[in-house]
Amino acid sequence: MHTPARRHVCIVFLAALLALRGADAAAQMLPSEPLTFGTGWLTLGADVSATASCASVEGNTSRCTTDTGFFNYTDYQHSALRMLIAGLTTEVKAGERVSVLAEIRSENGGVPNPYALYVRVRPWPTRGFDIQAGRVPPTFGAFARRYYPYDNLLIGYPLAYQYLTSIRPDALPANADELLRMRGRGWLSNFSVGNPNADNGLPLVHAFRWDTGIQVHAGNPRTEATVAVTTGTLANPLVGDDNGGRQIAGRVVFRPIAGLITGASAARGPFVTTDALRVGGVEGNASDYTQTAWGADAEYSRGYYLVRFEAIVSDWRLPLLNTPAIDMPLRAVSTSIEGRYKIRPGLYMAARSDHLTFSQVTGALRHDGWDAPVTRLELGGGYSLQRNVMLKAAYQHNTRQTARAAAADAAALQLVYWF
Amino acid sequence: MRAVPAAAVILIAVAATSASSASASRSTVVAVGSIRGRVEARRPPAAAATRRPTVAALGAPTEAARIDRTRSVVYLESAPRGAFEQVDPGRAVMDQRNETFVPHVLAVTAGTIVDFPNSDRIYHNVFSLSKGARFDLGRYEAGHSKSVRFDRPGVVRVFCEIHSHMNAFILVFGHPFFAMTDADGRYRIDNVPPGTYNVVAWNEGDSSDPRQVTVPDGGATEIDFTVR
Repeated sequence: MHTPARRHVCIVFLAALLALRGADAAAQMLPSEPLTFGTGWLTLGADVSATASCASVEGNTSRCTTDTGFFNYTDYQHSALRMLIAGLTTEVKAGERVSVLAEIRSENGGVPNPYALYVRVRPWPTRGFDIQAGRVPPTFGAFARRYYPYDNLLIGYPLAYQYLTSIRPDALPANADELLRMRGRGWLSNFSVGNPNADNGLPLVHAFRWDTGIQVHAGNPRTEATVAVTTGTLANPLVGDDNGGRQIAGRVVFRPIAGLITGASAARGPFVTTDALRVGGVEGNASDYTQTAWGADAEYSRGYYLVRFEAIVSDWRLPLLNTPAIDMPLRAVSTSIEGRYKIRPGLYMAARSDHLTFSQVTGALRHDGWDAPVTRLELGGGYSLQRNVMLKAAYQHNTRQTARAAAADAAALQLVYWF
Repeated sequence: MRAVPAAAVILIAVAATSASSASASRSTVVAVGSIRGRVEARRPPAAAATRRPTVAALGAPTEAARIDRTRSVVYLESAPRGAFEQVDPGRAVMDQRNETFVPHVLAVTAGTIVDFPNSDRIYHNVFSLSKGARFDLGRYEAGHSKSVRFDRPGVVRVFCEIHSHMNAFILVFGHPFFAMTDADGRYRIDNVPPGTYNVVAWNEGDSSDPRQVTVPDGGATEIDFTVR
């Protein structure tokens, strides 16, 4: 593991060095603005980011390894701190009322996947009213729509949107002890009811997969409101349905003064798959076992400062199968605050502090949070080689209240290009 | 025709060059002339700024104001001896209105202070990473203005950090022999001492090949350009 890890780090550092040296020449060869065709009916944008990191994990003697504590994994295979992402976004306009938008992304050279594919209809072109249908952007929260490397102030992501809890929609803990055994093991969780295979758990809100459904948005410069009905849930966005239920999500945004944006979100939808309920012999229907979430966020900026805050509370209701019974709902609370200060043109420093806690459950021998609380502090900054070429560096410190891999530090470097 | 990278500094301050201009400057009484003509910029007359596809947005963005991309700048590539002493820097304004920089192209002499008022109800954040002028004015609201003094000749690309579709050009010259075209593409550079010069037309980052013109004593020379 160590040799490829170091090679990976070296390649990105070398690329960054080359980028620094030849940034002018290279950037001038590449597009700096979106490409338009015809009379503007087709617009293309793209972004590429390469991220390398070196982690030091408690209990692991290596000083530069992969994130063996799985603090930054987005699923069992992919670490957000070691990732090559290439994305292509397109907008096809069919008149002033209708457009089709799509985003295709490839991670680590894998097969490109459609992250977004939807039609946007604006019935009254001069009014701020839109209907979007298909695989639509997340309605809930603030960060999910700015997870792109060029929008993200740092390299890592807020815990609520990335950290894998142990909970799964297709596998259910039979009792509280089984759930407690999976504390801090969201990267590879397994339970006895439902899908017997180990798989990654889910974050509170999935930022890397978008849900499918219909979304209605109305707004003016001061206020916005959005409502969506989709197939999956915040933690588990889907293309195809797995439980016959629909999630309803809503968000309102208010801009009372210049520079201040406040938002509130809520969502509720059936979480557990029909298959898992059937295997567990659960009576009733999927709509009884839900993920319900509330969120509040605020952003204030002025001059060279930018500060953002976001809090999310998520409740899951799972069927009670055996004793000791799980105390429902299973609650997770996330708070995140981040800030940026521009030191000089093209150069900024940023920091984010994140905390994720879980409600208590009582097993046969212990009373504890159903997953292990996690804290993350990330410090870093970015330097723009060109307007659309940025080099970011960050240092991240993670702690988790578990016996194994209770702490991990990571240094990361990211090169981002977009047009 | 040659493409000029946006961030590159293309306007090199060149002191007295041709023999004709040198001899002209030695004359005791010189009647200045002018260069005039028309620039045809083969671009759509006006278009809204191109945005990246707004895939992650919950709705379509408001349409930004249209930008007139046909305005060109015509300038002398080399300037007569003493031209750099004639520079009279003043003050200019580049407004931020309807998520657009107005004007989209500004031509000034080195030393000019450009004001960037915000006339929108939302924040803007003017910045440039061009070699000639690297600055970031931070975020400020409607009714406020910040300014930058442009000392180094070159092309300065100006952007808004919040609205990535907002962009503009500021061309900074080390001499006063340049002119912006009007709505019909016509230009006129006055007070040019007699001599032979290379003249270039610039439009949206593209330049014409330099064309040599001779300005007669007290007369006018006409030359037209076509830029992509």
